[in-house]
Amino acid sequence: MVEGRRITVRGRVQGVGFRPHVARLARRLGIRGGVQNTMDGVLIRAEGTQEALEAFIRAIVAEAPKAARIDAMEVAPDRPEGALDFRILPSRAAGRSTSVIPVDTAVCEACLAEMRDPHDRRYRYPFITCTQCGPRYTVIEALPYDREQTVMRAFSLCPDCAREYGDAEDRRYHAETIACPACGPAVRLIDAGGRPIPGDPIAQASALLRAGKIVAVKGLGGYHLACDATREEAVFELRRRKRRPRKPLAVMAASVEAARGAVRLSPEEEALLASPAAPIVVAERRDGGPLAPSVAPGLRTVGVMLPYTPLHHLLFDAGAPALLVMTSANLSGLPIFYRDEEALEGLREIADAFLVHDRPIAHPLDDSVVRLVGGDIDFLRRSRGYVPDPLPSPFDVDGVVGLGAEENNAFAFGRGTQLFVGPHIGDMETVEVEERYIREFEHFHRWLGVDLNIIAMDRHPLFATRRIAERLKAAFPDVEIVEVQHHHAHMAACMGENGLEGPAFGIILDGTGYGTDGAIWGFEVLYGSYDGFRRVAHLRYTPLPGGDKAVREPWRNALGMLVRLFGREEALRLLEARFPERRTALPILASLVERRELVAEAGTCGRLFDAASALLGLAEVAGYDGEPAILLSERVDADAEYAPYAFAIEEGDPMVIDMTPMLRALLHEYGEGRPIEAIAGRFHATIVASLVEVIRRARMRHPAWSRDVVLSGGSFHNPYLRVHLRRALRALGMNVYTHRLLPPGDGGLAAGQIWVAARTKRAR
Amino acid sequence: LAHGAGGKASRRLIEGLIAPYVFESGTELRDVAEVALAGGRLAMTADAFVVKPRVFPGGSIGELAVNGTANDLAMGGARPLALVATLILEAGLPTEELEREMAAMARAAERAGVAIVGGDTKVVEHGKADGLYISTAGIGLVDPRVDLSAKRVRPGDQVLLSGPIGDHGITILLARGEIELEAELTSDTRPLWPLVEALIEAAAPGLRWLRDPTRGGVATALNELARDARVTVVLDDEAIPVRPEVRGACEILGLDPLHIANEGQFLAVVAPEYADAALEALRRVPGGASAVRIGAIEEGARPVVLARSRYGGTRVIDMLVGDPLPRIC
Ligand SMILES: [Fe+3]
Ligand SMILES: [Mg+2]
Ligand SMILES: [Zn+2]
Ligand SMILES: [Zn+2]
Repeated sequence: MVEGRRITVRGRVQGVGFRPHVARLARRLGIRGGVQNTMDGVLIRAEGTQEALEAFIRAIVAEAPKAARIDAMEVAPDRPEGALDFRILPSRAAGRSTSVIPVDTAVCEACLAEMRDPHDRRYRYPFITCTQCGPRYTVIEALPYDREQTVMRAFSLCPDCAREYGDAEDRRYHAETIACPACGPAVRLIDAGGRPIPGDPIAQASALLRAGKIVAVKGLGGYHLACDATREEAVFELRRRKRRPRKPLAVMAASVEAARGAVRLSPEEEALLASPAAPIVVAERRDGGPLAPSVAPGLRTVGVMLPYTPLHHLLFDAGAPALLVMTSANLSGLPIFYRDEEALEGLREIADAFLVHDRPIAHPLDDSVVRLVGGDIDFLRRSRGYVPDPLPSPFDVDGVVGLGAEENNAFAFGRGTQLFVGPHIGDMETVEVEERYIREFEHFHRWLGVDLNIIAMDRHPLFATRRIAERLKAAFPDVEIVEVQHHHAHMAACMGENGLEGPAFGIILDGTGYGTDGAIWGFEVLYGSYDGFRRVAHLRYTPLPGGDKAVREPWRNALGMLVRLFGREEALRLLEARFPERRTALPILASLVERRELVAEAGTCGRLFDAASALLGLAEVAGYDGEPAILLSERVDADAEYAPYAFAIEEGDPMVIDMTPMLRALLHEYGEGRPIEAIAGRFHATIVASLVEVIRRARMRHPAWSRDVVLSGGSFHNPYLRVHLRRALRALGMNVYTHRLLPPGDGGLAAGQIWVAARTKRAR
Repeated sequence: LAHGAGGKASRRLIEGLIAPYVFESGTELRDVAEVALAGGRLAMTADAFVVKPRVFPGGSIGELAVNGTANDLAMGGARPLALVATLILEAGLPTEELEREMAAMARAAERAGVAIVGGDTKVVEHGKADGLYISTAGIGLVDPRVDLSAKRVRPGDQVLLSGPIGDHGITILLARGEIELEAELTSDTRPLWPLVEALIEAAAPGLRWLRDPTRGGVATALNELARDARVTVVLDDEAIPVRPEVRGACEILGLDPLHIANEGQFLAVVAPEYADAALEALRRVPGGASAVRIGAIEEGARPVVLARSRYGGTRVIDMLVGDPLPRIC
């Protein structure tokens, strides 16, 4: 007997070949009916025998396209209409928008096999794609996702491609980015002067890389700079030309085997590397391994990725070194290059040659950077392969946008109960970055079609997002601007991601955030919900002399801390021994730190790490954002146990955590020549112990308060803090929630801003 | 009321609480006002001086009071003629100090070519003032050849600066003795009319706008220009002259020289075809040797000040806001 089913599938099911997949299954199993995209997923109406329908429903999940992600599937009985076949129906226009821009995915196995088959018409073709793989977000200019709305519209289909596109049985049925050597884009190799280099471009580029040259490679979301990652002279030269002395460079390995030679990889890390998102995975570098020291100076870890475009694979196939530095091509302070003319001009003095092609990049996208910590994904940067995939929101956030913070920034949009975090934009320190931000913001706005009604931004008076908010307000006079305290936003981000309603504790360990009292916060125990919070505890304030400079030069911040905590005389004696080259500057700065009108007060985890790192001789000056803290955290074995140093807690509301005893003990042990590893371990353990103690006391004081606690803020990229704080709080009977979908750092802040602003404003 | 270090807080104070009551809306807020008379234009300005310490390397409050007022007139394109001064004395101020400051005012007036023609004196109780405040008012005659207004500033115009910046502010900061930093620095307080006069001679038809970047520094003065003229001001980061001593102090203190106060420098916007002549003329006047072009006016969708550097992109130069807060984490 013929029965009917109405099947709704939600998740990442658009632009990933989901409808063709369903249609193929239907034909195989004798199901009739149809499939169509809807506002929030895919709707299937199926008719067939009960057994066939059950097999069909199982296969929809079991054989789903690799790039798809099924979050929810509902099956309801339906009245059979006597359909004669199974069809892919036009998108349903009901509702405001049915449109989700899919993510870019790494080239799939089937396409790679064809690309390497000498008899295939796409043999060695660098732009091979199918419904399952290839560029999406980076080539789509507008929706709906049709070829005419992508940069591929410039390439009209040849008869062969047109046939594949129209054939329901073909892998490339409705593959909007379809192309072949006869009709699609092509690569070229040009020299630094813009002149074409004769010969096969890919073979020549590989030869240049083998010869130790620097080649700019146009990728999916922007340009990369590539060179042999095993040749110190080549990597060093790249650093010199790029004026980037220390910041670690990402490595692309030809294969998992090649990656294994350079870094230690768990099976989970290998799976992440080979996933369709193909992120950069931060892993432990092998001692004595092949990577040049300059790839990641002073670090035990390095970021590795696998080739994710056909062009990358072809470069390695043609004999490029199996480990290539593959770093975003940008100049200091500027966003990643993605337009050909700008890249050729801007990289002229850096690259020896350019491997380019004529498929434009509509929207730039940096590589994502992730790390596996205690079995969870820690997003250091959420971008290519993940953006613009929406996150579910526990409540309606329609028309609310978050502008984010200042560094490692990303904006976010709320639509319905979905939250879309934008691409990694970078540090908002130049006009060029601001313009990039605005361009991508406008793209999201157009695409999502939401009516802006609330703009959430940070309270910091100097952030560039404040200017952007003013511009938006001028363009949309009806919007309301809501200022959200930085750490409240971090807390809300972690609550929202975990679907919590609150109230909850928030332990926010962070770099710098503007507090409600004008001080710089960042070592916070909060309690509250989206609509408000109270401060349960914080780190005792110390002066941060010189604003941004105190962050770039941690010795300054160490000085501020010691002068306040130890008194001027003892501080200067200790500091002169530590930083002999700064002997003249030290007393000057010491006289400055108590001048309130010149010096900000700060109590932050990031600055505490910086100060310790400087005092322990690891980083007097930061070579890049976060270097001092990273160097300190890498001295610690995240799986080991260490005895905490003493610390003090001043009772009060809020409680004040005083690390004076810890700093004294740390300096004492350092002076006695204890190994840095042991000191660093105890330092980490002290932070954990102090926070556990605060929570314990707060629970005693307020027995009725929630047992939920969220961990957020940039310091939770530190594996030890994440793992050990979670463990210790669980032992205390708390329910501990961490980030797995959003970065704990400021890349996830915009989402939290949205959740706070939506709740505080909508409640009224 | 917040601090009056110049910049955003001062601007908000004036635009929000003061100007609406006394000026017609839309009045361009300048340091000097013009009064039309038969046969000419009279420039008028008023100023109050509060400085700690009252004596500092290169000058003192009395000298500052005369130069400051004369320079505001000069910035209106006016030759300073006469000024009156009101002294507010705190009971207990040593008479020698008062005498010294009166002598300093007389010397400064002579050097600036203005006459001190009157004034008033009030003594307030001990603790009700900080030693000595001087309030001045001055008049000058506007040179008939000039027409100065932000509204005349056009894209393509050039931004000139009379000399190195930050000397005064850093000198004062160090003279307070609270910071153990020593530097061979003196305040740049001086009369600017001789330089302005040379500029008018050489470039009057192309002279659009003048401003002495006192409190809030060059950054604040140019932000006000950008706002009033609705243009983008683009500075060449490497062209802005800063003495190594000032740069060094700013480095240590984490300050931007563009936010530091000056008392003897000015900014001029001139039409491009007059820029070379203007610079040549300035450089011939004693004290004008380091006058330099620091940027240009560009068509701007939004009124901002930008600093472009060869490496590292373009920064937005904001007005002075207050606390030196870190933005980076
Ligand atoms: Fe943060
Ligand atoms: Mg004045
Ligand atoms: Zn494929
Ligand atoms: Zn074709």
